[in-house]
Amino acid sequence: MIRICHMYPDLLNLYGDCGNITAFVKRCQWRSISVSVQEVSLNDRVNLREQDFIFFGGGSDRELKLIAADLTKRKEELIEAINDGLVILAICGGYQLLGHYYLARDGEKIYGLGLMDFYTQAGSRRLVGDVVIEMSIDGLPVKVAGFENHSGYTYLGSCQPLGQVLSGNGNNGKDGLEGACYRNVFCSYLHGPLLPKNARLTDHLIKLAMKKSGDNSQLRPLETELEDQACQVVLDRLGFKKITR
Amino acid sequence: MKLRLSTAIAAGKAAYWLSRFRGYQGSSLPGKVARRLYSGTLRDLAKQVRKGIIVISGTNGKTTTSNMVTEVLMDAGYRVIANREGANMIAGVTASFLLNAALRGSINCDYAILEVDEASMPLVMAEVTPVVIVLTNFFRDQLDRYWELDKIIAVIRDAIKKSKESSLILNADDPLVAQFRISTGLRSLFFGLSRQELSTSASSQTRESKFCPVCGTLLTYDYFHYGQLGNYRCPGCSFKRPRPQLESVELTYVPGGTNCRITYGQQAFDLAIPTQGVYNVYNALAAFLTGLHLGINPQSILSSLGRHQSVAGRMELFNYQGKPVYLCLVKNPTGFNQGITTLCAAAKTKDVLIVINDNEADGRDISWLWDVDFETLSADHRPYPCFICSGQRGEEMALRLKYAGIPIDKISVNQDIKAAINTALAGHADSAFLFSSYTALWQVHKLLKQLTAKGDPR
Ligand SMILES: [Zn+2]
Repeated sequence: MIRICHMYPDLLNLYGDCGNITAFVKRCQWRSISVSVQEVSLNDRVNLREQDFIFFGGGSDRELKLIAADLTKRKEELIEAINDGLVILAICGGYQLLGHYYLARDGEKIYGLGLMDFYTQAGSRRLVGDVVIEMSIDGLPVKVAGFENHSGYTYLGSCQPLGQVLSGNGNNGKDGLEGACYRNVFCSYLHGPLLPKNARLTDHLIKLAMKKSGDNSQLRPLETELEDQACQVVLDRLGFKKITR
Repeated sequence: MKLRLSTAIAAGKAAYWLSRFRGYQGSSLPGKVARRLYSGTLRDLAKQVRKGIIVISGTNGKTTTSNMVTEVLMDAGYRVIANREGANMIAGVTASFLLNAALRGSINCDYAILEVDEASMPLVMAEVTPVVIVLTNFFRDQLDRYWELDKIIAVIRDAIKKSKESSLILNADDPLVAQFRISTGLRSLFFGLSRQELSTSASSQTRESKFCPVCGTLLTYDYFHYGQLGNYRCPGCSFKRPRPQLESVELTYVPGGTNCRITYGQQAFDLAIPTQGVYNVYNALAAFLTGLHLGINPQSILSSLGRHQSVAGRMELFNYQGKPVYLCLVKNPTGFNQGITTLCAAAKTKDVLIVINDNEADGRDISWLWDVDFETLSADHRPYPCFICSGQRGEEMALRLKYAGIPIDKISVNQDIKAAINTALAGHADSAFLFSSYTALWQVHKLLKQLTAKGDPR
C-alpha cells in the first residue's frame, strides 16, 4: 500500500492542484495498487516518516506564511523521511516553501524550510503561459508540458533543476532551468495540473513511492493514449513533434 | 471641449459602422477610438444620465442581473442605456454611451445599467459615479488574466470606497461580498437565501475563502448553498452573515422555472422566474432589491422578472425534433458545478457535449477543469450514454473525464464542432446537454439555432 499525504489542501489549492493527486491515485488504482490518501492541515498530527508520497500545491502569500510556521515544526521529521526515500511533489508555492526563503515585493522575507539550496524573490513581471521542458526519466529524455503562472523568480544554488526549458519561462525566465530536484523530491512551477497529461512522470513517481513503501515489484504498463494526446496539444502549439525522442 | 466630445462621438460611431460593415462585432472598438480622441468622453456622457447609473460587478451572474435590472427599469417606463455582453471593460462601457449619444454630445436617458468586469472597476469608477453598485459573488475566474482573488477584491474595494454617494446592493450569503459593508463603510442593502431543502452541511465544491475577511480566523458554517455561499459566522470577531432585507425563504423547482417565496420586511411576495438554477434566483433577488431601492412598484418588478428570458447559453433551451437540448456557458468551477447539478437533476438519459477553448477570453489556463466535480457523474454513469469533447482543449477535457472515472469507451474527442454537435443531437438519449467555454459559445449557439427550433420541446 502506498500512503499519500495531501499537505494543506484547504490552504494550498490554487489552479487545479487536486488533479495531481487524482492522477497519482487513479494510476495506482488502475494497477490494483492500494493507496490511502490523508489530508493534512495546520497542527494535524501525522508521522511524515511513515508516508510514501506527499504533495504540496500552490497558494497565496497569506497561506504560505501560515504553512511555513507549521512546516518548521515538522522539519526534522521531513529530513529523515526524505533521506529514507520519501517522494515529494511540490508545485508553485509549495515549491518555494522548500527553499531558503521567498522575498516578497514589499521586502518581507518568508523563510522556507531550507531543505534544498535555492531562493525565490518576487519579480517585476508575472511569468504566465504554456511551458514545455525536457527532463530525464530513467536516463531517457522526456518532454513535459504544463502551464505556469508565477511572480516568484527562483534561483537554484547547488541543487539540480527538474529539467531544461524548451519553451516558456521556467524558474526565472533567464537561465533556462525549470523546477528543482533532490533525491526523490520534485519541484516545479508547472501546474496545468502537471501529472495527468505527463503520465511518464506520474508513473516514475509511483515507482519511487512503491519502492519507499517496500514494494519492489515491476510497474505494470498502462494505456496512455489520451494522456499523450492532451500533452501533444501543448507540444504542437509550441512546435515540438514528440514527447520522447 | 464640446467640440472634442462631438468629434470623438462621430469617430466612435464611424468606427462602429465600419467594423459592422467589415463583419466584426466591434463592441469595444468605438470606445477605444473615441477615448483616444477625447479622454473625457465617458465622463462627459455619464454626467448627463438623469436619475442615476447602476454598476453591476462580481464573478458570476453579471450579465443576467444587468439584463434583469434593465428590464425592470424599462418596464417601469424609464429610458435606459445598458452595455452589451462582452463589452464590460472601459472601452465597451464608453462605446455603449457614445452609440446612444447625439452627435452634438447629448444623451437622453434616465438610467444607465453597466455590467463591469472586476478588473475594470477602478477605471470605470474613476469616470462614473453610480447611485447603486451591485456585487453578485466572487469566485476564482481566469486567474492568468488577472490576479489572485484577494487582490481583485482589494482593488474593487479601493475603487468603491471613494464613491461616498453610492449605495451597495450585496449578496449576504457570500462572505467575500458581504464584507464590503465594513470595508467601504458605504450604505449597504443585502439579499440572500435562507436555508433550503438542498442546502448542505459541508461544501464539497471549491471553497474560495474559508477565512474571515476581517480578522483572518477560520469561518464556521451552519449550511452551504454552493461554493462559499451559505450561513457563516466568524468565531474570532463579530463578522457574520448579515440579515438580508430581501430574502428568499422557500424555493420550488417547477418544469422550466423556479418559484420563490420572498420576504421584504413585513411584506411577502411570490416570484416565479422562467429559468432554473439557484444562481438565477440570486440574480433575480439582486435585481428585485435594486428595483425596490430605486422606488419601483414591487408588482411591476415581479411581472418583469416573471417574463425574463435567459441570455444565450445560460441553460438556454432548444428543441431538436421534440428532444430538449440545453446550452450552458462554462467559465469557472462554480458555474460548471451548477450546470452539472442541473444535468444530474434532469430526467432519464442525456448525451453530453463539452467544448473547451483556451483563448484569452476563456482564460488561457484550463487547470480549473480539474476543480470541477465531474466525479458526481461517474458515481452512476448509466444515464449518460456518451461524452463528446471538442474545442482547442477537447483532449484535456476528455482526459479530465477519464480521471473522473467515466468509462473510456463513453468518451470521444471530435475537433469538428459541427460534427460534434450533430452527434450529440442525434444521440439516442432523452435530452442533450451542451457545455461551452466563452469563445466557442457563439459558434455553438449559431449552429444550434440552425439545427433546432427555439422553445419548449414536445
Ligand atoms: Zn473575523
